[in-house]
Amino acid sequence: MSNPYIVLPIIFQLFLAILLMFCWTQKNLQKLVSTVGSLIAVAIAVIMFAQVWKSGTLVTQAGNWGAPFGITFVADTFSVLMVLLTTLSGLAVSVFSVGAVRNARVKFGYFPILHFLIMGLCGAFLAGDIFNLYVWFEIIIISSFVLITIGGEKAQLEGSIKYVTMNLLASVVFLTAIAVLYGLTGSLNMADLSLKVAEIENRGLVNVTAILFLVGFGIKSAVFPLYFWLPASYHTPPPAISAIFGGLLTKVGIYALLRVFTLIFIPDAFMITLISIMAALTILSGGIGAMIQNNIRKIFSYLIICHIGFMLAGLGMYTELAILGTVFYLVHDIIVKTNLFMVSGLIFKIKGTYSLRLLGGFYKDYPKLSLLMAIPLFSLVGIPPLSGFWAKFYLIRGGLEVDNLVLVGFIILGSFLTLFIIARFWSEAFWKTGEELPKKLKVKYYHELKPLKQKAMVVSILFLAFISLGIGLGAEYVIQVASRVAEELMNPQSYIEAVLGKL
Amino acid sequence: MKTIIFQTASNYLLPLLLLFSVFILLRGHYLPGGGFVGGLIASIAFVIHSFANGLEKTRSIIKFHPGFLMPVGLVFAIGAGAAPWFVGQPFMTGLWFEDPIPVIGMVGSALFFDTGVFLVVIGVSLTIIFTISETL
Amino acid sequence: MLIAILAGFLLALFMPNVIRGLKGKSSIGIALLPFSLFSYFISFLPRISSGETLHFNWSWVPSLGVGLDFYLDGLSLLFTLLITGIGTLVFVYTSSYLKGHQYLDRFYAYLSMFMASMLGVVMADNIITLFIFWELTSISSFFLIGFNNDSEPSRKSALTALGVTGFGGLFLLAGMVTLGYITDEFQISSLAAMSGEIHGHDLYPWVIGLVFIGAFTKSAQFPFHFWLPGAMKAPTPVSTYLHSATMVKAGIYLLARFTPILGNHVMWNTTLIIVGSITMLYAALHAIFRLDLKGILAYSTISALGILTFLIGLGTEEALTAAAVFILVHALYKATLFLITGIIDHETGTRDVSQLGGLNKIMLPVGIAGLLAAVSNAGIPPSFGFVGKDLIYEATLHFGDLAWVLTGAAIVTNVALLFAGFLAGIKPFVGKLPEKFSKLHLPGPAMWVPPLILAVLGILFGLIPPLVDGPLIKPIVAALTLQDPDFYLHLWHGFNVILALSVATIATGIALYFIIKPSEALLGKATRFESISPHSMVKGLGRGFTWFSAKWTNFLQNGYLRYYLITILSFLTFLLAYRLFLGVEIYVDTSVLSEITIYEAIIVLIMASAIFFTVFTKSRLAAVASMGVVGYSFCLIFLFYSAPDLAMTQFSIDTLTVILFVLVIYNLPKYLKLSDNRDRIRDGLLSLIFGAMISILTLEVLNESVQKDISTYYAENAYLLGKGKNVVNVILVDFRGFDTMVEITVLAIAALGVFSLLKLRLKSIEKE
Repeated sequence: MSNPYIVLPIIFQLFLAILLMFCWTQKNLQKLVSTVGSLIAVAIAVIMFAQVWKSGTLVTQAGNWGAPFGITFVADTFSVLMVLLTTLSGLAVSVFSVGAVRNARVKFGYFPILHFLIMGLCGAFLAGDIFNLYVWFEIIIISSFVLITIGGEKAQLEGSIKYVTMNLLASVVFLTAIAVLYGLTGSLNMADLSLKVAEIENRGLVNVTAILFLVGFGIKSAVFPLYFWLPASYHTPPPAISAIFGGLLTKVGIYALLRVFTLIFIPDAFMITLISIMAALTILSGGIGAMIQNNIRKIFSYLIICHIGFMLAGLGMYTELAILGTVFYLVHDIIVKTNLFMVSGLIFKIKGTYSLRLLGGFYKDYPKLSLLMAIPLFSLVGIPPLSGFWAKFYLIRGGLEVDNLVLVGFIILGSFLTLFIIARFWSEAFWKTGEELPKKLKVKYYHELKPLKQKAMVVSILFLAFISLGIGLGAEYVIQVASRVAEELMNPQSYIEAVLGKL
Repeated sequence: MKTIIFQTASNYLLPLLLLFSVFILLRGHYLPGGGFVGGLIASIAFVIHSFANGLEKTRSIIKFHPGFLMPVGLVFAIGAGAAPWFVGQPFMTGLWFEDPIPVIGMVGSALFFDTGVFLVVIGVSLTIIFTISETL
Repeated sequence: MLIAILAGFLLALFMPNVIRGLKGKSSIGIALLPFSLFSYFISFLPRISSGETLHFNWSWVPSLGVGLDFYLDGLSLLFTLLITGIGTLVFVYTSSYLKGHQYLDRFYAYLSMFMASMLGVVMADNIITLFIFWELTSISSFFLIGFNNDSEPSRKSALTALGVTGFGGLFLLAGMVTLGYITDEFQISSLAAMSGEIHGHDLYPWVIGLVFIGAFTKSAQFPFHFWLPGAMKAPTPVSTYLHSATMVKAGIYLLARFTPILGNHVMWNTTLIIVGSITMLYAALHAIFRLDLKGILAYSTISALGILTFLIGLGTEEALTAAAVFILVHALYKATLFLITGIIDHETGTRDVSQLGGLNKIMLPVGIAGLLAAVSNAGIPPSFGFVGKDLIYEATLHFGDLAWVLTGAAIVTNVALLFAGFLAGIKPFVGKLPEKFSKLHLPGPAMWVPPLILAVLGILFGLIPPLVDGPLIKPIVAALTLQDPDFYLHLWHGFNVILALSVATIATGIALYFIIKPSEALLGKATRFESISPHSMVKGLGRGFTWFSAKWTNFLQNGYLRYYLITILSFLTFLLAYRLFLGVEIYVDTSVLSEITIYEAIIVLIMASAIFFTVFTKSRLAAVASMGVVGYSFCLIFLFYSAPDLAMTQFSIDTLTVILFVLVIYNLPKYLKLSDNRDRIRDGLLSLIFGAMISILTLEVLNESVQKDISTYYAENAYLLGKGKNVVNVILVDFRGFDTMVEITVLAIAALGVFSLLKLRLKSIEKE
């Protein structure tokens, strides 16, 4: 069904960013605009989700040029789900930033660029045109690059160089892939590509092109052996920025992989094996990487990799149930990871360090905050009935269906490592009697902040913790959504018809 | 580089090049040109001026921070894009005035959009170049 | 029913408020919760013993077939009664044991959460729900064991316990999912009917293997037993609760619950018999050498769990009856012994059995409880333990060829257990009272009444077996065998082999008690084997794993951007080459390619030399300039192929880029270090191969005939619909205007980035 307004989530973020650019130096006004704007963005996303849920896939052709000639935007269930999650974690991060981001950064464009980033994410999720998808990736890279560097500390710059180099490499690979694909089919519209690629007789060439997409998106989603940029950079920027990164950046890669490998390239046996091996090694590398870290943000960074492996595993199994598991995991992971990085930020604000060895005594001093933080921590582990559990159920089930017991074994290993790491984290940071740490001059501590700022940080963590609880306890609803997404992905007929009309 | 000849030349060159850039922008729909190239030419005009007369002089001519052009340009672009929404058309649908305007030809939302591109490009290149030359 | 199970969670949530409400006053009132639950469950006793089972369903995640489904049969009922009954006593006991403790509210919160989770486990009628509550018990026990979180050993053992049980939990999950996958049925009560189908399935060995790992880790079976002695770091009420009746019995419950579904298969029985007997012997021998009272109890608990596993493994009706009785016997006496150990520890400050003695003089009721528990533990008539032990011997003796081997193992275990029980229940109370303890006195009744009640029950059930056999034991056996059992428990069986064995066991045990005196030397002998114990092996494994993790991680994440890029590119190149050469017929169709003109050749030559110059020059400026040359060459190529717009844009962009580069580079120092030739050759080779792959790919793509619908459409409609003659411009601002809008946004962001990167220098106080 056609609906011209489905690009609104994108345009609204752009509008917000422009508005924020106009109030460049007024920090309080910026905070207000960003918060209120993010709330409206959530409302828009909710309405859109409801629309799509009710009436099926919505499409708009930018410039009114019919597909495949213009640029198509498609809002199917998967897209709107991702947009909704993006705006939710965007809202949380925006509120968190009110408390956690230093004024100097706010005066140098922090908020506009945050909204540019969110715009890029929404755009990527709604794009129905492969080149347009590339353009959104550009937005994401450039704005995340600027966010990493903003403030210009040495560690930030070092991290950002690695980040941007490898991500640009990913873009180059992606762009090459698009060029080759265009050479093969003469089309950029994803629905059209789905049909045209299926008709190509030279399957060998299609398979080679698929490899380019796999590697391009693989770098983005930080899978083995392409993930290096992530542990090199995520621990460097201010926590609010790591939060939005941790929650969403790698997930765009996963989204793109899911989209492209269900719609355009149907994986052959080799691809399935390749993806499964990559998934297994991603889980392993991420899990054991997190085992040996001391910096809590590095621990979470490696855990991102580990859990990206779970999602990739679902793709590697390639059954509807496994994809359902991946989508459920995606929903859970976006919320939890965003929250965990905010938690690490709050811990830092209170204690002045990210080092697990030095931290301690949190439970004694801040019992209520500790309990609050326990929710995302133990959701991540997947302690039932918190949110991570249900997805794992489907992934294991999917592995049994395709008789891939090795992959199931790796999923269990990954879950165990996560469990162990988080339990140790709890024992070290929360239980251990912390030593009195020397006061750092460079840090503005939590208790020195205005009450409004303190509240902003706690409220945003609380907000996402509630969503996590909701995902766990209301699993039925999430499963319904995820199963519709999985069904639509595995049967792209409806997507294609929505874009190109009845065939 | 601050020779008198260069300075004098650049003082005349600036308006000429700016005019040329607008010309390039406007003719874009029919002949090679457009907002992007136009914007680049305009910024090169300012850059030349600043090389000749020093940054301060150039900035005093522009009066406001060139970065301000970026949101303004984006407003043009987003406005041209969103205008069709009010008549129930998809984003970026071309809307055209009925009659051609002398010299320019057909005027439509595409031209507004291209103007946005033009402004953003100027804003971007000047911001980058000015910032770099100021701080280094 | 749902409320009954979830009440504990609710109470846990509001516990801080409740405790504050009871400010200063005795917190004994909290025990009302478990007590009312106990009364609630006991009210089902008549219905259950008449053979009824009760079901409760509450839909939760219907698409998974997961609901909060609960049911109550004999087996569940026994466990619910133990959980709530012993729970009540533990709650009462705690109110005195931890009186005035700063975090009493948290303690009660965890305890009631744990209780609720255990109730969920034993009543769940859905394998996934079962697993959910199973994990909740692991987590809440983590908090309970680590309650004294200031102490390092306490944290470590909590972590070990969670590590082991959580590890098993995940296997259990896999097992449950596999079971659900085979049968497409999640209802435990319906699964028994599909037992035959399950047995025949290829995945059956996987299912039982996974379930076993889950059960063995939870119930501390060899070689996963080591977390249990460590968990003794917890406050004594926790040890009592977790290790007598609840947490560790969950594994036993699981095995029992799945006996009708997965049991009666040679793999099932053999594994359980072997693991059970190893555990019971291993732990029983260990118990003898301990000095710490809680250590003794820990090992004897493991041993008892081994016996239970062993009995379930035997799988005969007699063995299952024995198991059912022994669960109850063990819960009663072990809880008593733990509680009195807690009292001793609380009053004297030591748990070293070699230093204790004569406490009868100051705390007689506790001593009586200890004596009764030790008697029941020893299986001396007329205790309930005697009934239990007889049943065990009966089961082993009637087990075919291996009867005597198994009976022998059971006797050895029982002798050692008797010894351990005497050590814990009698030794501290007899003999001479050490001087330093003479000033002590009996603690409040909240502490000594609970163990006494349990101990007395242990004797009472022995004296009057009908109290339990009809109402409790029979429904259990019915649930396990799916048949209506026909037996009665007796204290007195007449003179027969079993009685002789019993007498022999008791006699040997008592003799041992008088011969072996626990001492440091003895403990030393036992710890000498520590290095080959499973615990040390797991520790070693953990160290090895950490070592491997560090190696692996630091090898990959080595901090050098160039190695990252090399890895990524090699990976990509390898995959491309593999797929190209194995999947594509490589040929170049020259007929579709146009002739190479002299201009093109020259341009390519210029580009190539400029690239080489860029790579090899030692000056940054020269490198930038030659890159500019490459850019301008592109302009020319665009011109050749009649794309003036692109050429124009490329030209301006290149000019600006070079200007920018010059501006920046002007301020940079000279290259400090250039890579050596070996590195260059390596990088050059990789680039060449990668470039070759992409070129081959491009050439192959050219072979494909493609309909150029879209370009044709653009060319035809640019003026007609887009009202422009310059197709490129119309594409940019109209056909693909959206892309352009995004791209100018990209530019704007980049400009903002440059601006803030260069202008914003955080003052020290502004840093994060």
